[in-house]
Amino acid sequence: MDDYALGVLTNIALFSFIALSAYLLLIAGEMSFGQQALFGVGAYAAGMLTAMFDWPLPLALVAAMLAGAAAQWLIALPTLRLRGLVFAMATLAAAEMLRIGFELLQWQRTVEGEPVGPDGTQGFRGIRWVFESGVEPAMFLALIALLLAATVVLFVWVERSKLGATLRAVGADDELAASLGIDVLRVKLGVAAAAGALAALGGALYAHHNTYIEPRNFDIMLGVHSLAYALIGGLGTAFGPILGVLLDIGLLEGSRVFSGYRMIVFGGLVALLLIVRPRGLLDERVVHALRRRTLKSS
Amino acid sequence: MNNGSKLAIALVALLASSMAHAQRTPQASLDCKPGGAKFVYDCNVRLTRAGSPLANVEVSVGADMPSMPMAHNVKPAKAKPTEVPGEFQARLELEMHGEWALKLRVSGAVNDLLVLRYEFDEKGARPAQRPTRGAAIR
Repeated sequence: MDDYALGVLTNIALFSFIALSAYLLLIAGEMSFGQQALFGVGAYAAGMLTAMFDWPLPLALVAAMLAGAAAQWLIALPTLRLRGLVFAMATLAAAEMLRIGFELLQWQRTVEGEPVGPDGTQGFRGIRWVFESGVEPAMFLALIALLLAATVVLFVWVERSKLGATLRAVGADDELAASLGIDVLRVKLGVAAAAGALAALGGALYAHHNTYIEPRNFDIMLGVHSLAYALIGGLGTAFGPILGVLLDIGLLEGSRVFSGYRMIVFGGLVALLLIVRPRGLLDERVVHALRRRTLKSS
Repeated sequence: MNNGSKLAIALVALLASSMAHAQRTPQASLDCKPGGAKFVYDCNVRLTRAGSPLANVEVSVGADMPSMPMAHNVKPAKAKPTEVPGEFQARLELEMHGEWALKLRVSGAVNDLLVLRYEFDEKGARPAQRPTRGAAIR
């Protein structure tokens, strides 16, 4: 496999984490325009731990997930009192505040004779754990794919459990869910923390794949895309957001059929799907029909 | 050999290894000129490590848009080595003018990924200058 194909597959897998993060909030009834900031929190946290403090990557990934969960929980605590579009705008505002925080973050240490660490708007280079450990790009892609597969398995398990039914109930009508005795705020805070951890995991892997990050990597475009992937792919199953990523990055970007006009095509596709299939290609109805067909055939 | 000598040798070895580490990261510089077609640039890449040209490596040059790093990028082009040691040539086909994060994938004797930010326009390319947050506010 050549470098380009490896790069496209790695990007698909990395985007899937943030798309799943947006999806998790969507099925709980909340639309966030701020998942890019949590992706950034993970990227900076893990990058700093491995490059500045020589932590092994697995530990740095766990720490990044904890940082992402904590950051999203703190954002959710005041913003979950808001509803609909106001909540979406609040998440965007919080994400911009975090991005500006990354621009102000200047903390470098001398590691083996070289300054390493975030340097504000000039970015953070030298996140070289993958190269220093002799991990080949194909091996790193395998690691990312393994983590993504584990995440999808976890999603499928949750969706088939009582917790999944609770999430869907809260997402469909939180007042009705509350009347059934569900602690809606607690559920949503838990979902927010999990979504933050997931986005942060993607960001941490991205930082190590790219070796360089900067605050502009985590601006609104990334957040809009993550949301769009979940909405295009569908809200019926965790495979929906991944389908959305495959359509955009795999088909449109990977094939380069539309060249520089891809973003216009992508925007048109999002608009069209929101009109024709407001809950995406793999919506609840399609997933239900597929499950029934599978059960009948078995 | 007494303990003092052993300690001295160990210290010298440690110092030598830290000096080697101090210059472990390759450095890259670029010189890009318009390549005749719109958004096409011919780039000279110079790679060094510890001040010496980097030899026995293969280089490919790709580009990402900083605001959409994973979703808006340019297919990497393989750079050809020139007669000058450590110097490579690559043709870059961008999609638009503006700032791009160039990704130099180095493989062979050295395995690394170097990211350089450059601003591209009709005249060529130059390193992207970005004000610090404080300066921007002033």
